[in-house]
Amino acid sequence: MLSLVIRKVWVVLITALLLSVIVFILLRLIPSDPLGMMLPPSATHEDAEALRQVLGMDGSIAKQYGVWLQNAVHGDLGRSIFFREPVTALIKTALPATLELAMVSLVMALLIAIPGGVMMYKFEGRKLEIPADFLLVVLLSVPSFLWGIILIVVLGVAFPILPFMGQLDPSFSVPRVTGFLLIDTLLAGQWAAWWDALRHLLLPAFALALSFSPIIARVLRSSLIEIATEPYVNVVRLRGVSERRILWGHMLKNAALPTLTLLGVQFGFLFGGTLLIEVIFSFPGLGNLMVQAIKNFDLPLIQGVALVFCLLVLGVNFCVDGLYTALNPKLRQA
Amino acid sequence: MKTWCTRVVRKLMGAAAAAVVMAGGAHAAPTELKIAYPVDLPSWDPTAVTFPAGQSLFKAVFDSPTFMDDKLVATPRQIESWKWLDDAGTKLELNLRKDIFFHDGSPLTAEDLKFTFERASKNKAIALNGMMPTVTGIEVVSPHQAVMTFSKPTPTAIKSLAFLTSYILPKAYIEKVGEEAFLKQPIGAGPYRLTGYQRGSRITLEAFDKYWGGKPAIDKVVFEIVPDSSARVAAVESGRVDVSVQIPVREVARLQKSPNLEAKTYPYSEMFILQMPSYVETFQNEHLRRAMQLAIDKQGLSRAFYNNVAQPLSVLATKGSAADVPDFSIPFDREQAIAELAKAGYSKDKPLKMRLLSTNNTFPSDYDMARAIAQMWSQIGIETTVEEITMAKYLELSHSSKLDGVMLYVWANATGDPELGVGRILDPRLRLSTWKDPALASELDALSTEMDEEKRLASYHEIMKRASENAWSLPVLQSISTIAHKKGLNLPTYQTGYILPQDYSWK
Repeated sequence: MLSLVIRKVWVVLITALLLSVIVFILLRLIPSDPLGMMLPPSATHEDAEALRQVLGMDGSIAKQYGVWLQNAVHGDLGRSIFFREPVTALIKTALPATLELAMVSLVMALLIAIPGGVMMYKFEGRKLEIPADFLLVVLLSVPSFLWGIILIVVLGVAFPILPFMGQLDPSFSVPRVTGFLLIDTLLAGQWAAWWDALRHLLLPAFALALSFSPIIARVLRSSLIEIATEPYVNVVRLRGVSERRILWGHMLKNAALPTLTLLGVQFGFLFGGTLLIEVIFSFPGLGNLMVQAIKNFDLPLIQGVALVFCLLVLGVNFCVDGLYTALNPKLRQA
Repeated sequence: MKTWCTRVVRKLMGAAAAAVVMAGGAHAAPTELKIAYPVDLPSWDPTAVTFPAGQSLFKAVFDSPTFMDDKLVATPRQIESWKWLDDAGTKLELNLRKDIFFHDGSPLTAEDLKFTFERASKNKAIALNGMMPTVTGIEVVSPHQAVMTFSKPTPTAIKSLAFLTSYILPKAYIEKVGEEAFLKQPIGAGPYRLTGYQRGSRITLEAFDKYWGGKPAIDKVVFEIVPDSSARVAAVESGRVDVSVQIPVREVARLQKSPNLEAKTYPYSEMFILQMPSYVETFQNEHLRRAMQLAIDKQGLSRAFYNNVAQPLSVLATKGSAADVPDFSIPFDREQAIAELAKAGYSKDKPLKMRLLSTNNTFPSDYDMARAIAQMWSQIGIETTVEEITMAKYLELSHSSKLDGVMLYVWANATGDPELGVGRILDPRLRLSTWKDPALASELDALSTEMDEEKRLASYHEIMKRASENAWSLPVLQSISTIAHKKGLNLPTYQTGYILPQDYSWK
């Protein structure tokens, strides 16, 4: 078991290293000038070259990568060209907001997908199968940012029930301890602020969940259909166990395995979805930071955020693999 | 356990009730203002970056040494008077007001002015160096008097002191807390002090009671950073903010019909221009360039995309600015354009194929306007492919003289002075210029040191006329801005495009 974990950790590290090389080289091959955005209109070519030297962007790509990697290993991802602050500090401030958003949307997606998947399994071969399939296709085809806009228009403007800007009402002031607002508000004993932070999370998280949940629901339904023909299900049925108990007590546990694998893979897409959702909802997370970095071609920040996104996806997959191993006795024995 | 759970549930329910009450009262009180703003600041060092979109925020927190009024005339602000000490224009006496305080209560003096420029000169990455490159030093004469010296005559110094990157920083505070801490908790001498900042989300300002111009009428201003224009419209429509800046032009007419809102489109000191790369052989043909200019129906573009508010331009200057040449115009004339194109050897039967580059949504309706221009050119025999380009990519191409098509670009010049307009656009040595005529360099150099204002402006006007007649760079339209706000708010708009909550008040 330990050797399996060590092997997985190595895979994660090597993948992260390769990704950092790819991101670094690709960004430098794009014919755009990162200095262009910070120089005044009166800047001459000489001014640009001088600044390039100051920022250490005048060496070869290999040399620049070597310096960057050496610093990155020590937690220094460079300095943002646009924001003029250490990239690590910028990411540290923005990351909790994105993680919080992703976790809440994951919970919401599961709350929608598990009952949804089970219901669709139950509708199999019945009249409701076609409308359910239609609904699934609709949910699958609408991207999360469009859900975001629809939710703002309906629940933010037409029926102004929920807020859709930022993380917290400006009337609250919460000392940041962990960076996770839902935790910090509780630590500060500010219940009204906690509730307000949760309300601010609902719309963006729901927009992400609406795109994420149909994929999970579909895989769950397929798994359940497949498992329904397994001999052990028939054995349990012959024992006189109720269909409800067979489904929730036996089948769902086994159907969860492929769903879990999918969850790991799709989590990357969930992070991808935060990019536009955070912009639409003015959410101060990593996605918003990345969009600003791309707009301004802020190379150190783009590669820093990209690396963090990669590590997050790798980390989630690592955890999912661990869970999969824990849930699957065959893998444990191996 | 059950009791604990019950307690938590009760507390949460109480919190929910409190939040509902707060939401009910979330409409801004008369002393508060919420503004949905499209961009965040790259840094709280106002001298570090040339970032036109952030100037409103910098002016609220730092104020400015001088100020461009609504007629784009430089007026006293923190500097109450000035005087050239020599005829050559290399020594400028600056007299600061004696009643200016930073937000920590310390007075603003000439030492702070000196510190600001010295700090910049030690760090090449600070953009103030590039904006006022001729400053060689500042001599402190008394706490409120300084003499600024220049390496060569600098007639535009006073205007530059009202423009990008010109802000006075607090010497004692920065030396005490350090650069990093200053950037996290900046203080200035402006009408508002920064009391809360969450990157990419919110900026909270509170009125400064020791501001030399008097405490602003609105006590608290919250800038909500809302990059998405639809969300900004939704924010003002739902009443969650009081003001929304830069909303889509098409939304203005709709919001004007709302009983609770006022919305308007107004021209300001930026202009759409077409940058012509002189190093591409095709564009060296003057007949072709003229044909391109004559074929653009600028008024039609204004009608189609900017509610007819954007003013058509014939020279590289905005209307009413010092650089403007009011008695000069190049009218839309398709027949003449066809004739000029024929002289260049092209026609509808033998069309020229070229590229028009444009950003998409970086400026209002930029890409749509580029497509319309391409359509107008196709009507005379120029088959134009419109291509989207990012600003960073454009800057790279411009920097390396590799721009192979015409670029639709927006030039910002809140001073209205020709030196910061045509003087930069046509300077062949600068990275942003695309019309690289070496002969213009010496001509512009001579003008940049001309101290006779009348003569200086007259000469610039001549260059601008020549630039338009020869179509070195094509002026298209004066840019527009849009704003929507709740009724009951006095909200003046300015030619500079600045959003200045210090001048707003609730009726």
